[in-house]
Amino acid sequence: MTAVLSTHGLVARYGDFQALYGVDTELHPGEAVALIGANGAGKSTFLRSIMGLLPVAREMVLLDGEPVGGTATDRMVQKGIAIVPEGRRLFTGMSVEDNLRVAIDQAARVGAKGGWSLSRLHQLFPILKEKARAQVQSLSGGQQQMVAIGRALLCQPRVLLCDEISLGLAPKVIREIYAALPEIRAAGTAMIVVEQDVGLAQSASDRLYCMLEGRVTLTGRSSDVTREQIGKAYFGAGHAVV
Amino acid sequence: MQWFDALVQGILLGGMYAQYALGMALMFGVMRIVNISHGDLVILLSLIGISMATAWGLAPVSVLIILVPLAVLMGWVLQKAVLNRVVGSDPLPSLIATFGLSIALQNLMLQIWSANSRSLPGHGIESQSIEIGGIYIGLLPLIVLAVATGLTWGVDLMLKHTRFGRALRAASADVEAASMTGINPRAVYALATAVAVGILGFAAVFQSLRSTVAPADGPAQLIYAFEAVIIGGMGAVWGAFLGSMVLGIAQAIGFRIDPGFGVLAGHLVFLIVLATRPQGLFGKAST
Amino acid sequence: MSAIPFATTEAPAVQVQRQTGSGRIAMTLAVLGVVAVAAMPWWASTGTIRSILVLCCYIAVAQMWNLLAGYAGLVSVGQQAFMGAAGYALFVLAQTFGINPFLAVFLSLLVPAVLAVPIYFLLHRLDGPYFSIGTWVVAEVFRLVCSNLPIVNAGAGMSLRVMKDYSAFERNVAMSLLCAAMLLLTVGGSYWLLRSRYGLALIAMRDNPVAAASQGVNVARLRFLIYVASAVGCGLAGAIYFMAQLRITPGSAFDPMWANVAIFIVMVGGIGSIEGVLIGALIFFIADRWFGEYGATYFVVLGLMTLLVALYARTGIWGLISKRWDAPWFPIRRKLVDPNRQ
Repeated sequence: MTAVLSTHGLVARYGDFQALYGVDTELHPGEAVALIGANGAGKSTFLRSIMGLLPVAREMVLLDGEPVGGTATDRMVQKGIAIVPEGRRLFTGMSVEDNLRVAIDQAARVGAKGGWSLSRLHQLFPILKEKARAQVQSLSGGQQQMVAIGRALLCQPRVLLCDEISLGLAPKVIREIYAALPEIRAAGTAMIVVEQDVGLAQSASDRLYCMLEGRVTLTGRSSDVTREQIGKAYFGAGHAVV
Repeated sequence: MQWFDALVQGILLGGMYAQYALGMALMFGVMRIVNISHGDLVILLSLIGISMATAWGLAPVSVLIILVPLAVLMGWVLQKAVLNRVVGSDPLPSLIATFGLSIALQNLMLQIWSANSRSLPGHGIESQSIEIGGIYIGLLPLIVLAVATGLTWGVDLMLKHTRFGRALRAASADVEAASMTGINPRAVYALATAVAVGILGFAAVFQSLRSTVAPADGPAQLIYAFEAVIIGGMGAVWGAFLGSMVLGIAQAIGFRIDPGFGVLAGHLVFLIVLATRPQGLFGKAST
Repeated sequence: MSAIPFATTEAPAVQVQRQTGSGRIAMTLAVLGVVAVAAMPWWASTGTIRSILVLCCYIAVAQMWNLLAGYAGLVSVGQQAFMGAAGYALFVLAQTFGINPFLAVFLSLLVPAVLAVPIYFLLHRLDGPYFSIGTWVVAEVFRLVCSNLPIVNAGAGMSLRVMKDYSAFERNVAMSLLCAAMLLLTVGGSYWLLRSRYGLALIAMRDNPVAAASQGVNVARLRFLIYVASAVGCGLAGAIYFMAQLRITPGSAFDPMWANVAIFIVMVGGIGSIEGVLIGALIFFIADRWFGEYGATYFVVLGLMTLLVALYARTGIWGLISKRWDAPWFPIRRKLVDPNRQ
């Protein structure tokens, strides 16, 4: 099966600081891939590079085999990739419904086809209907995360990038949110989930990658990979520190 | 009765200022940019309008119909050619760029039109008045106020209920997140500036009808727009409108006290608001 | 458990190198320049002295704007408020109260210093571009107030007739010395400031105010002090300029032209560096001499140049030069040099 999204030798820099040292990954249709690693490993940078928020060479990111590295973020959304960014980044000062409508507007503007609608989103996360008119900053962390996921889904993506969606949330709320992921996958959306909680990452994905200091140190099927392997790859035993 | 008259005149004057302030509030609220050449653009449009009217014998309405689309185009070009390169967290480049543009525009207008004051031939509308409740109110100022109210209302509705308005609000809240939602910030900014300058097309016609314009008048209009926005509350559209009313009333009352005191009274009210309630009379206090 | 032995280390024997070759050359030239300015009555005609005086005023005002915008991050388009304030103070002290005009120049500096305090507190809460327009409003308020104030003769302005009591030569000597003093205070003072402890804080504040604050720099207080210092520097330039003009009116005292010139000089020359101010001032002076007669068109070009620099070359000419060659005229960096490795 050909990959819907793949990276090849992905290199990314913040000014003089190099954050990614040649990352190779693959994502197949309908798959959920987890990306784990310690803080500063480059996970968020990786997602941001795919979304065009960082300048990268064109051939380093392929979408359906087409080189798209460095394409402007809004064009990447048009091509079918959406991101639930770290820290949610909702539009404060606007209502929940307006936050979601922005995504609907833009999808309609470019004629994106997909199954996600407001009513379907309300079924997935009923609280969004209840709080439709509320100012988005008045919601709890978990509710805000649901809005962020909903906003990304309304872009009708084929690939959904989730950046630390459990960050700062209570365990019960995290379970609630992760319970929604299988339904998203069932709708045909492939996912890359960046997650600090290793157990959660393993249970929510088919395959996983582990990163350390800008490099992939481990990859394999989530059900096959052992704790010991992850521990070594996560913390870098046996890995030369530059 | 004299003071009531001043109040009424002040509100009508505020209608004029609101047309300047609206565009400035829109641009600052969305892009955090203040266009120093804002006032000069009004004067430029006015002078173009006056030249056209004199050359082709046009009525003010015709001038308006030509100027507003021209202004929209100017705003769009301004954003694409200049402002899109200086949007960002550092305010210095946009300030300096628009400052340089202001100097260039003022002197270009001076070269082309010379320093003489001109006004738009109004074919009598400047002197018409209607009687309301015992006082005589000029027809033109009333029209200016009505247009200002309509424009403010229109912009407010646009921001709240249209796709473009939502995209604008999203981009002003978090531009990166907006691009992650499929919004092209540069395109949205260009439209916002086009609207902001388009409104100046109205202001240009009214200003040149009610008074004279000269190439050096730009900075004064910029300052009035700025004071109105600050008095009302930074960034909010209705805040700019109400702030314009307050400024107009302050100037009108000052003018009643002494003709040389009008503009200064406005400045003083502005400084007082700045000292006592910096978020503006109708703005929310920032934590 | 035994204690982990603590290894004793000595501080490495390094030296702090603060001067460079280019800096020494520039410093020599600068000292010669200041001396030449002070000695103008002996080698220059009155007309030349006037021209150089105006150039020195441009340099002073530009450097003050540079300090404000380049280091404190405060973009002011209203420094003319302080120039006019000091100018008027000079005229009132010297003409109305009969104080020695040369002494009055320094006394007049109290006025911008005192005025700067409430103005800063009024304006500093305003967001970037709004702060700038606010400074312009303040200058306008000063102009309007002076246009109606009897003590400064309202709109008719004042003349410094007391200067007739001094011979032309005496006036030239005084003007030259004042010019030299102004250069020393504004440019020399800035350089001294940048080389001092406060200089490190200033540069930190310029590069990243948040990081600087986290390192203990009192950013708010430093900004305030820079604002007052800049007001006084501009006041000095104003007092000297109007003393040479012998006449002051509200329109000329608070002329926005000064802001235009300062911004052009600093942006084209290179913001945040003293070298940039000198380069920019020289360019402006030459352009003014050659093209000033073209009036409005000349200003269109100036405006466009400012616009283009802001868009495409934000670091100005000195910024472009220093990217290629690291040879500062006024070095402010501290280099650690190991004498053993040289």
